[in-house]
Amino acid sequence: MSGYDDAVEALQAAQGEPPSSSRGIIALHEGNCTSCMLCARECPDWCIEIDSHKETLPPETERGRPRVVHVLDRFAIDYGLCMWCGICIEVCPFDALFWSPSWEHAAPDASGLVHERFDLRQWLADAPLAPGNEGT
Amino acid sequence: MTETRRDVPREEWLAAARAALAEGHAFLDLLTAVDLDAEGFEVLLRLWDPVRRTGVLLATRCPRDDARVPSVVPALAGAAWHERATAEMFGIAFEGHETAPLLLPEGFGAHPLRKDFALAARAAKRWPGRKEPGESEGDLPATRRRRLSPPGVPEGWDTP
Repeated sequence: MSGYDDAVEALQAAQGEPPSSSRGIIALHEGNCTSCMLCARECPDWCIEIDSHKETLPPETERGRPRVVHVLDRFAIDYGLCMWCGICIEVCPFDALFWSPSWEHAAPDASGLVHERFDLRQWLADAPLAPGNEGT
Repeated sequence: MTETRRDVPREEWLAAARAALAEGHAFLDLLTAVDLDAEGFEVLLRLWDPVRRTGVLLATRCPRDDARVPSVVPALAGAAWHERATAEMFGIAFEGHETAPLLLPEGFGAHPLRKDFALAARAAKRWPGRKEPGESEGDLPATRRRRLSPPGVPEGWDTP
């Protein structure tokens, strides 16, 4: 067992898991994201990359008009740059980003700290304010 | 917990520090500077009285082309490292104190906390926010529309 593991274990034994409200990592609820770019623009570290494209939906009613929607292609947060300020979460008008208390995210090299949408989705599970988790 | 701010001319900088110390503000919390662009530099010194729990924030200014303030080291030896860091990061001279480099590699030749110092990371990376909703990396050269520029970054930094 490495010194790092020993240290983590000792910390957990002494303090338990961090409180559920702590800022461990940022979770993405893709269904709520409209690719509006606000988080990517407000991020002081430029650590959020978003790619999206436009799709035209057929009219929903007989006299309706076709609707253009933005479809998310890529949502990535580079945790090598992120400074856990939470501005992205606060500016998101659609509640697509949430704090999760998960904290064990070391990676052997810097590219491993870029979390793509599928990585970011899994942190929803213990994000206390994410849809379905409220009040838990 | 109270905190008082005192703006003093730079000729009175050392005297102001001595006065604050004499009042019991004996704990050196912070000495640093702020680059105010055309208005020059503001040098800040925060002292704390651990007994009465009061703080004093001393501030003084110096012009950009005459960036020097008196050193407070004669009154406060612990400020030496802070002055060394501030001197190399902002290019401010502390009169009466030979500020040897503290953090930067030898021969760095610039003052990274000055606002006109371009961050390599800002020049090398394109701003992720330049894309509009519905756009991807590959769409960018095709669209010629005027683009947003990143907040807080001086004109011309996001060149690529």
